[in-house]
Amino acid sequence: MASIRRNNAFSCLLLAVCAVSLGAQSRYKAPRTPDGHPDLQGYWTNLTYTPFERPKELASKPFYTEKEAIDAFNKAVEGSENQVVHYVNTDFGATPVQTGAQPNLRTSLVIDPPDGRIPPMTPEAQKREAARIAAQRAGGPLARTWRDDRGTVWCVFHDRAVPAVTAPYGSNYQIVQSKDYIVMIYEWNSERRVISLNGQPHGAVPLYAGDSRGHWEGDTLVVDTVHFNPKRTFMGSPGTPPAVSVTPTFHLTERFTRTADDTITHTYTVEDPATWTRPWTVEMPLHRMKGPMLEYACNENNVDAFTTLRNARLQEAGKLAPPDRVRNVEDPKATVIQREENEAGGAGKAGGAGKAK
Amino acid sequence: MTRATLCAVVMATAVAAAQSQAYRAPRTAGGQADLNGFWQALNTANWDLEAHEAAAGPILQLGAAYAVPPGAGVVVDGPIPYKPDALAMKKKYAANALREDAEVKCYLPGVPRMMYMPYPVQIVQSANTILMMSEFASALRTIYMNSTTRPPADTWMGWSTGKWDGDTLVIDSAGFIGSTVGALDEEGAVHVRFFDRAGNYHTDGLHVVERIRRTDADHLSYQATIEDPNVYTRPWTISMPLYRRVEPNMQLGDFKCEEFVGDLVYGKYQKK
Repeated sequence: MASIRRNNAFSCLLLAVCAVSLGAQSRYKAPRTPDGHPDLQGYWTNLTYTPFERPKELASKPFYTEKEAIDAFNKAVEGSENQVVHYVNTDFGATPVQTGAQPNLRTSLVIDPPDGRIPPMTPEAQKREAARIAAQRAGGPLARTWRDDRGTVWCVFHDRAVPAVTAPYGSNYQIVQSKDYIVMIYEWNSERRVISLNGQPHGAVPLYAGDSRGHWEGDTLVVDTVHFNPKRTFMGSPGTPPAVSVTPTFHLTERFTRTADDTITHTYTVEDPATWTRPWTVEMPLHRMKGPMLEYACNENNVDAFTTLRNARLQEAGKLAPPDRVRNVEDPKATVIQREENEAGGAGKAGGAGKAK
Repeated sequence: MTRATLCAVVMATAVAAAQSQAYRAPRTAGGQADLNGFWQALNTANWDLEAHEAAAGPILQLGAAYAVPPGAGVVVDGPIPYKPDALAMKKKYAANALREDAEVKCYLPGVPRMMYMPYPVQIVQSANTILMMSEFASALRTIYMNSTTRPPADTWMGWSTGKWDGDTLVIDSAGFIGSTVGALDEEGAVHVRFFDRAGNYHTDGLHVVERIRRTDADHLSYQATIEDPNVYTRPWTISMPLYRRVEPNMQLGDFKCEEFVGDLVYGKYQKK
């Protein structure tokens, strides 16, 4: 618990800085690149404790007061202390507050529609998504091939890179800027997105990260992105609604404005008449973090995919106990591996063998 | 390398040097020589760094389409100075290249291989950071300019720091993972990483110094000196031009080759 206490001390320090910067944004003048444009370069995180969609009880309250925002932030930090995702993220210095998350006056990241909720899907899209999920479920609980997202780590593309959505950790960007290009590298899967600023028309071939074209409107970088690869999905992250297909009519419009030394205000509007009844808009600030970001190298010796598939075949053959959910055991900070070791005897009693034979 | 090819390399180098002395590269707004753009090697270095004849490809059914094109070689001071044991290993690797070359599994290609694979490389240059991005496997290099940092961990693409020597970008790279051994290689571990499809290889002792200079509007002179005391008796150097991709609609496409190798790599554990 010592590390948690240190974090709280750190976040108190952070809050004092934040409280000032929340009110000072409008007069801020961003530093310039040698080309004269606002300098967005460096390492940034969009990790946050602000919910993606607004909780129903806050439907008519889009903004907190400064004190409420700080209280909500501290409460969220404390509430997440014992959270286990795959790892105890605190031990890795990977929680939002350890990375650079800051309090937010907004009560949700979705800012339009005004109730902070994603608009309904069209009836056709609801049918399409239900069919897609049913087809996935029909394959059973075990991973069949490397394509299945059932514990395998799929290295082709990490779809939280763009459009940005909430993530438990590692939701960090490195931005590098030349006169004609801005490159945003996302930490997960070292996913890169090259934004052309030179007036080149959109390309003809779909890209997983979409085909991005940017231009400056005053001090704001405006990015127009189309031609997303329809094999990917959008959302399905912790804190967001389930994943939906990205169709050929999916259109993303983003605005990046450096509003403080440690903040880029990032808003985006998602529009896809094949999926939603109206466009909707998210504001997801980027806060400065300490670099560098290291290579992700997902596909190289991908032990997750290998082990998941091998174990799935062993489980089908009755040679390995079925997969179990992480249980609440006495030590909430125990890693998943420790929990599995603790429970190895119990799994044996349940009928299967604890280990591969 | 034969005497004739050595002469050709020396002459080509001399001609390039004479041309470049008259050429002054355009500047970025920050005042450095401007290396921005899409660049690509037009040679057979990815098949074999050394001079080689054309040869049949590794899979009969692919016929002429995937046969090995001939090449004069890009090693300036060859042959590659392998230690005697290492040369024997190189020959063994060459015979098993289809199984042992990580290009087949879509692994990050490392340095300098990324620079001469038959895929474009985009350079995006700012004052403090230069990005080099290949289409192949979305491979990415970050060059930290005027930095004295050391590699914080070994990585597939290594850790690169850069400085300007006049108009020449000099990049020093180390911190490379030297082995592709892993859970996927139960049946015959691969111990080294390849520079090409012919089994030329290095270990985690690799240290690369690259010199990149613009020689005219549409060419870069690319040189890499390769050092690995585990494998070679002395440092050795490759040299080649990189050509600008001048198409007005040029941009990096997705070559996310994990998509193409998943069934190959995981095949035996997939549900039939």
